[in-house]
Amino acid sequence: MSAGASNPEYVNARVRARRAKLFADEDYRKLIRMGPSEIARFMEETEYEREINALGTRFSGVDLIEYALNRNLAKHFDDLLDWSQGRIYDLIARYLRKFDVWNIKTIIRGIYTETPAEEIRTDLIRAGELPDRTLDRLLEVDEIEDAIDILSGTLFYAPLSVAYEEYEETGVLVPLENALDREFYEHLLDGLGRPQEGPEAMYVEFLQAEIDFRNARNALRLARSGADLDPAEYYIEGGVLFTRSELNRLVADYDELVDHIADNRRYGDRLSSALTRLRDADSLIAFEHAIDAALLEYADRLSSIYPVSVSAVFSFILAKEREVENIRAIARGREVGLSESEIEDELVIL
Amino acid sequence: MAKDVKPTRKNLMAIEDRIDLSERGHGTLEKKRDGLIMEFMDILDKAQDVRGELSDDYEQAQKKINMARAMEGDVAVRGAAAALQEHPEITTESKNIMGVVVPQIESSRVSKSLDQRGYGIMGSSARIDEAAEAYEDLLESIILAAEVETAMKKMLREIETTKRRVNALEFKLLPELYENQEYIEQKLEEQEREETFRLKKIKEKKEAEEKAEKAEQEAAEAAASADEAVSGDELEQSTAGGLPGGD
Repeated sequence: MSAGASNPEYVNARVRARRAKLFADEDYRKLIRMGPSEIARFMEETEYEREINALGTRFSGVDLIEYALNRNLAKHFDDLLDWSQGRIYDLIARYLRKFDVWNIKTIIRGIYTETPAEEIRTDLIRAGELPDRTLDRLLEVDEIEDAIDILSGTLFYAPLSVAYEEYEETGVLVPLENALDREFYEHLLDGLGRPQEGPEAMYVEFLQAEIDFRNARNALRLARSGADLDPAEYYIEGGVLFTRSELNRLVADYDELVDHIADNRRYGDRLSSALTRLRDADSLIAFEHAIDAALLEYADRLSSIYPVSVSAVFSFILAKEREVENIRAIARGREVGLSESEIEDELVIL
Repeated sequence: MAKDVKPTRKNLMAIEDRIDLSERGHGTLEKKRDGLIMEFMDILDKAQDVRGELSDDYEQAQKKINMARAMEGDVAVRGAAAALQEHPEITTESKNIMGVVVPQIESSRVSKSLDQRGYGIMGSSARIDEAAEAYEDLLESIILAAEVETAMKKMLREIETTKRRVNALEFKLLPELYENQEYIEQKLEEQEREETFRLKKIKEKKEAEEKAEKAEQEAAEAAASADEAVSGDELEQSTAGGLPGGD
């Protein structure tokens, strides 16, 4: 909870214990050689035992692994919010709100497609700030408008209410989903200012990178798609890579956009090889891969420089997300018959 | 079968008419078959290309969705797919290729721009975009393949039917008609020969009868003239001896 004094020391002590349970690189190397059922068995003997056992009767194969991973992730992040107080709670919660966004989107999509509530429930990742009670209430409604009403009092209510009008006109979920994502990103840096040093400076730098990479990713997608969309509508404030007017101008010229990212002092070097490939290839996937790798580099720096701060907690959050993504990538990769080297090259970020 | 046919001139004429019609039909059907085969070969080439493209698109789409499922998670990919209710529309028309009616499938709303796919752009990734795009391409290929392959199957069926008709005419109907024609002609010739022979015989018989009659007549005439001669002599003798009443 956000009330009370901040307790980074306590949270860090708890996080250190959790961090020790994360899979090591050698575990991934073992997993890469296993099939989906072996991976599930391997997970049964680790941190994921409870989730695998709880979900084993309902799911099997890679679905079991994916749901177990999501549930375990939710458990860990929920614990983080339970342990933390004051400022550190606020700093953690603002990032974990991305799971609130995920859950609201999932529920809205479920209502939109008239999916049974039980099916929607399994896809939720209860790792955000919204209480379970609110999520359960959201699952009970049949209309998107009612779902938005339930969210009154949260920061998502106002943007969703505005976007709902557009949804009613167009009949597609794009405005609602964009409103949710924008709200998440634009509140990441709320009240943080521009600290120049210390753990919060690194934290801010990481969040700025998150915003910049999201802007870069969206700008490149818009530039490639050739769709008649207003780039300004997809611009997120807070980053250092683009201003709104720059983004508007650059979306019209793909090469100039790539040059602009390459010329940036903060990210140019980190993304240079991916940008070179981006100039030659038609696909953005390699670039997204490079972005993910760059974000993880930030995360590693966060943990090593200020071990008893929000940075270290944040580093754990990112490491846990990476673990979940890697295990899921390995399991899905093995399921579809990708070779070990393909999984290593294209999916897993070690 | 030839034996079932009455060897009459009327039947011969009817068979000749049928032969004429069948030969013309055979020629037309042969031309149709050859034309269909040529059209079919064109469609076959197209179908092979479309099949190849379909197979590539399928492979590509599977690869993209597998990557998206691996990196974003199955739940995220399913979620993105669920964000769209609108389905592509397909309308079918038909066109005529050498008498074969084949479908012409028009699709709309298959390929979509970034903002038409339903899911939000700000929170999604290029992996999902590329998977969606690959599946849109695959769907276009499937629609094209459905059109071309249906046309190909219909053409093939028509070629088969035409070929059967050509073969039936060439190897069954026409040979039978020729056989019947020959049979009737032979029978008619035979009848003609018989008739000629019969007439000849009648003529001979008649001539023989006439001859006999003439001979008989001649004999009768001869006999009559002989009788006449005898009676003349007797009269002469009686005149020379004096008539008893004349003294």
